[in-house]
Amino acid sequence: MKVRKKVGIIACSGEELLGGTLSRAAARIVVENLRPQETIILCAPLFAAGGLERHGGQEERNFAKEHPTITIEGCEEECAKIAVDKYSGPPTATFYIKEFIDAHPELKPVSREDLGEEGMKLAEIVAEKIAKKVDELFIS
Amino acid sequence: MMREMSKEKVYIIPCSGIGKVFGSIGRETAYIVVDELSKGKSALECLPLIVKGKKEVIDMLKLNKVIAIDGCPLKCSYNNLMENVGKVDAQFMTTDIVKENRDLRPESSIIPIGERTKKLSKKLAKKVAQKVDELLK
Repeated sequence: MKVRKKVGIIACSGEELLGGTLSRAAARIVVENLRPQETIILCAPLFAAGGLERHGGQEERNFAKEHPTITIEGCEEECAKIAVDKYSGPPTATFYIKEFIDAHPELKPVSREDLGEEGMKLAEIVAEKIAKKVDELFIS
Repeated sequence: MMREMSKEKVYIIPCSGIGKVFGSIGRETAYIVVDELSKGKSALECLPLIVKGKKEVIDMLKLNKVIAIDGCPLKCSYNNLMENVGKVDAQFMTTDIVKENRDLRPESSIIPIGERTKKLSKKLAKKVAQKVDELLK
């Protein structure tokens, strides 16, 4: 029996930055709307959570070891990528929010608290790109 | 010495959970505290950056007060703060505010969050803001 492949989506989700909010919104759009059957959300901090083993949260790391993962980075710190790489192996692909912001200067998110209509449009563009990558992973 | 004390802030660190609405309550709560209720007295920092161990951030948190807000029993914010900063001055669970307000069952939607989720976040934010004042006394 062929096991259906799932792709783990890990957004940095940084609370302090607009990029974190965009990464979170893009991840939700992919998992809820664009590729709900093919993807699953993983929480970035769980990968490196202090005393994770003691608190029984090993599932995220194990999933990422056994499935392809896509990280979404809200800034140049690459927190999601580094966490996944350290505990589960290199992510399959990484998307940088800044590249999308630079590519679409016409779309101006309102704030980290509320992306507004244009910010959500930008998140949708990021999500579309990620969905295409998910499709590639399913074909390969 | 007095000048140093007057600069002290309370850092609000919500967990970064995006799989369930309980993480959203924590994040929304943190924004209400930092932007409205305790504006100027509190600040946000990214949990993933703390998890990564960014030295400037860790050093800054050690010099200030820190409040963790968590959305599930794994308590990523609390545990990561303890592991990397070595202290947490106060902690809140978003599930507690849900239990205390059975009539405000949060909507499952995460983006955007629903009206009941916003109301719960405001209620929790009032408690967190009160704790901010206590910690700065």
